Amino acid sequence: MKKQVAKLVAGLTVAAFAALSLPTTSGAAASLRIWADADRKASVEKVAGAWGKKNGVTVTVVQKDFGKIRDDLKTVDVSTAPDVIVGAHDWVGELAANGSVIPLTVSKSAGAKIPSYALDAFSYANAKGNKVLYGAPVALENVGLVVNTKVAKVPTSFSDMVSQALAFQKKAAGNFGLVIPGGDAYHNYPLFSGLCGYVFGKDAKGNLNPDDVGVGNAKLLANAGDVDSWNKSGLLSSKVDYGIAKNAFLAGKAAFWVTGPWEKDTLDKSGLKVQIVQMPKNKCDSVPFLGVQGFMVTKFAKSHGVESQARDLVGSYMLSEGAQTQLSSENGRAPANTDAAAKIDDALLKQFAAAGKGGVPMPNIPEMSSVWGDLGTAWTNVFKGADATPAKTAFRTAGKNIKAKIG
Amino acid sequence: MTSPASSDRLAHDDSRSAYRPSWLAWLISLFSGTGGLIVKIVLLSLLNAMVGWAIIVLFTQDRVMWALGTLAVLGIFDFVYLRPNKLLPAKFILPGSVLLIAYLIIPIFFTINTAFQKYSTGHVLTKSEAITTNIEQNVVQGEKFFLMTPTRDGSGALVLVLVDDTTGQTYLGRSSGLEEIDPASVAVDEFGDVIPPEGLTALVGDELFGADAELADFEVPLEGGGVIKTEGISGAYESEPGLAYDSARDVMTATDTGVEYSDNGRGSFVSPDGDELVVGWREYIGFENFTAVITNPLVRAPFLRAFVWTITFAASTVLISFAIGLFLAKLLDKPKFRLKKMYRSLLVIPYAVPGFLSLLVFRGLLNDDYGLINKLLPFDTPWLFDPWWARVSVILVSVWLTTPYFLLVCMGALQAIPGELVEAARVDGAGRWQVFRKVTLPLLLVVVTPLLIASFAYNFNNFNNVFLLTGGGPSSDDQSVAGATDILISYTYKLAFEAGKGQDYGLASAISIYIFFIVAAMSASGFLRSKALENMK
Repeated sequence: MKKQVAKLVAGLTVAAFAALSLPTTSGAAASLRIWADADRKASVEKVAGAWGKKNGVTVTVVQKDFGKIRDDLKTVDVSTAPDVIVGAHDWVGELAANGSVIPLTVSKSAGAKIPSYALDAFSYANAKGNKVLYGAPVALENVGLVVNTKVAKVPTSFSDMVSQALAFQKKAAGNFGLVIPGGDAYHNYPLFSGLCGYVFGKDAKGNLNPDDVGVGNAKLLANAGDVDSWNKSGLLSSKVDYGIAKNAFLAGKAAFWVTGPWEKDTLDKSGLKVQIVQMPKNKCDSVPFLGVQGFMVTKFAKSHGVESQARDLVGSYMLSEGAQTQLSSENGRAPANTDAAAKIDDALLKQFAAAGKGGVPMPNIPEMSSVWGDLGTAWTNVFKGADATPAKTAFRTAGKNIKAKIG
Repeated sequence: MTSPASSDRLAHDDSRSAYRPSWLAWLISLFSGTGGLIVKIVLLSLLNAMVGWAIIVLFTQDRVMWALGTLAVLGIFDFVYLRPNKLLPAKFILPGSVLLIAYLIIPIFFTINTAFQKYSTGHVLTKSEAITTNIEQNVVQGEKFFLMTPTRDGSGALVLVLVDDTTGQTYLGRSSGLEEIDPASVAVDEFGDVIPPEGLTALVGDELFGADAELADFEVPLEGGGVIKTEGISGAYESEPGLAYDSARDVMTATDTGVEYSDNGRGSFVSPDGDELVVGWREYIGFENFTAVITNPLVRAPFLRAFVWTITFAASTVLISFAIGLFLAKLLDKPKFRLKKMYRSLLVIPYAVPGFLSLLVFRGLLNDDYGLINKLLPFDTPWLFDPWWARVSVILVSVWLTTPYFLLVCMGALQAIPGELVEAARVDGAGRWQVFRKVTLPLLLVVVTPLLIASFAYNFNNFNNVFLLTGGGPSSDDQSVAGATDILISYTYKLAFEAGKGQDYGLASAISIYIFFIVAAMSASGFLRSKALENMK
C-alpha cells in the first residue's frame, strides 16, 4: 500500500511537472522589456515599437510609477528585470555606483546633435575623472515663471516682479502674488540661484565635486536677508503646497506661478492668457534646475542576451531626430535632439525651453539625496510666517548638515 | 490511534446517528479513507511538481544553497506525509513550522546578516561583479567611431564591416586584427544600411539575436594596443582598457598612470591618495553599524530624540486609549442603558474602518488652512505645522484608532468578572469608586495587562500612523533626518532609503536590531509585572 502510494505520487508529480513546464517552452525570439511610467508608456510603445518592427524584436513596455523604476531596479529578479528603463538624469550617479546601468558610446554625429550639458547630465565620472555616458537624453524640462498676463505684466526686473506680486496680493482677499510649492528645493531653485546659491561646485575636470557644497556659501548668506523680507511681506509661505499653488493660479488668483512643462496641458485648457519667462535676475541669474529624461540600458540586458539590441535602441535609435520628435509631441517636453528642438511649434513649450537658458542640470551624484531633504527643510522653515527661522541660520544649518552627511 | 479507514467508518456511523460531527472532524475525515487518499496524493504531487520546478529555477539562477534547502524541505514533506500514522503529530506541525521559518526566522537572519555589512548605495554588488563593472566603466574611448555591420565569412567566423564615422574609410574587423579595404567594395543602400562585400553575409533576424553575447564581447585587436569594441548592432568604437585587475595581488591598476587601487577591507578599492573606485561591493565590517549609532553624532542625536518620543507616543496612546475604552465599556456595562447596541456599534466604527483610510482622512481634516477642524474651531491651531502640535495630533489620531480595541477588550473582561465579588464588596459597605479601584480594576488588569503590553509594543513600531499622518515631519530645529514626529522605526526607514548618500541598509538593519532589544526589554519587564498581578489573585 505504502509503496503504491509513493509510486502514484511519483507518477502524478511527473505529470503535473510536465503540465507546468509546457507554457515555458515556447517563444525564443528576441524580446526587449522596457520600464516606463504612465505618462510615457504610450509614446515609448509607439517609438520603440517602430524600432522593434524594423529589427524584428518584440518590445514589451511595462508600466511603473516613475520613482518606482529606480527603486524596483534594486530588488527585481533577473527573470522579470527590464533591459531598458526610462529615467531621470539625476538617478545616474546612484545607478552607476550600484552597477545597475551599463556605459554607452554614441557616434560623433549623433552626439553632436545633443546639447553637451544633456550628455553631461547623463554621465558620471569614473575613477580617473573621465565622464562616462550611461543614458540617451531624449527630453528636457525646467520650471519657468508663468505670468498671468491678464493681471500682471511680464516683469522687467526682480523687484518689479515682487512689487507686482505684492500689489496683486493686496487687491483682494484670497489673492496670491507669487506661488511656489513650499519646502520644495526644486521649484524654489530659481530663488536660490538668484541669491547666488548653488548645490555642488565643479572640479578642474568639470565634474561635480561633493566636497564643494554651495548651500550656505558666503554670498548666499550675505543675500539671505531678501528671503526674510519675502517672508515678512507675505510674498511666500510654506503653507502653499503644490495643489494650492496650482489651484490659485488656475482660478486667476495668482499673478505668477513657478512650474514646468508637465502643466502645459493644464495651462492650455485653462483659458488663461499666460506667458512663460525665466525669473528675472536678482543678485545672480535666477536660473532653474534642468531635468533631462532619457533611456538607459540595464545590466540585465546582458544576462538576457539582448545587450547589442538594447544598445542599438538606446544609443542610436532614440537619439535620432525622428524618434525624438515623436516622443516630444506625445509627451509635451522639449526634445534633446537639436534638429527636433528647432522644429517645435508649440508656443508654451518653446517659452518653457527658453526659460531654462543657462540653467543648471540637477546634480546626479548620489550625495544629492541628502540635499533635497535638507534644502527643502530650510525652505519650509524660512517661510513659516511669524515662527520663521532666519534664512541665514536655515541655509547655514542645511549646508552644515549636508556636509556632515556626505562625510 | 485508529487507522484512517476505521476513523472514516466512525464518521459515517456518527452522521447516521443524530450527532453531527463538528466541522473539524469533517475536515479530518476529508483527508482519510479512499477519497482522502486521492486528495492527499493529488495535493502532494502538485506540491512536488511546483516546488521541483522552483528548485530548477533556483539552480539555473545559481542559487545553489536555496535550491538545496528547498529540496531538503520538500524531502521532509514527502517523508512525513507518505508515512501514515507513524508521524501524525508532525503532519500537523510541519506546514506551520515551515511558514514560521520562511516568514519569520529567515527575515530575522537576513536583518542580522545585513547589520554586519557595509550595504548601501555603491555597495550592492558582489566583489567579482564590482571588479568587472569597474573595468567596464573605466574603458578609455579612442577617437574613432565606426558604423558597423556584423557579418560572417565562409568559415562562420564573425567579421565586422566598419565605416569610419568621420573619414568614411572602410575596414574589416576580425578577431585576428583590422584590415583596411577599398571603400568602393562596400555599398550603402537607400536605408543607410551597409551592404557587405562579397564573401560575407550580413547577420539579420534570428542569427543576429543568437549572436548577441558573441557580438557584445567581440573585440578587434589593434596594432598599437587597444581594441575595437562593438556598440549595439550598428556601431563600434576604438577603445583601450583603463583598469586592469591583478587577481594574485587583489589590486586594480590604472593602465596609464600605474596607480594601484587596493581593497580597503570595507568594500572598496582605494588608491594611496584616497581616491575610491565608483563601484564597491557588500562587505562584512563587524560592529561598525552598531557603533555608528553611539559614535556618530549625526545618527546619535536624532536617535535619542526619536527614542524619547517613541516611548512617549506609544505609552500615551496605550494609556489614554485604555482609559477612554474602559470608561466607555463601564458606561455600556450598565444593564439599563438605552440603545446600548447602537452605541456599541457606533463606537467600534473607527476600528472597522481601515487605518490607512482614517489616517489620510485625518491628514486632510487637520490641514492648517483648509482642514475642517480648523474651520470649525474658533482659533487656528497649526496641527501638522508646528512640531509640538504635530506630536499632539499623532497621539490624538492614534488614540482614535486604538480606543475601540480597548473598548471591546474591556467590555469582554468586565463581563468575566464575577458579579458576586462586586456584590460582596457592596454589602461590605464599599462605595462605587472603591469597588472599582479595589475589586474591578485589579481583576480587569490581570486580563488586560498582557494586551496593554502587546499594544505598547505594537505602537512602538506603528510606522503607518506616523508616516501617513505627518510623514515624520515637520522638521525639527536641527533639521536632521528625523523629523519631530519620527518614531524609531520611521527614522530607520528614512535612514535606509533617504540617507546621506542614497540608501544605507546596513545601518538601518543595525538600528532595527536595537529596536528589537528595546521592545523586548520593555515587554519582558511588563510581563514580569503582570505576573505579580496574577499572583495577587
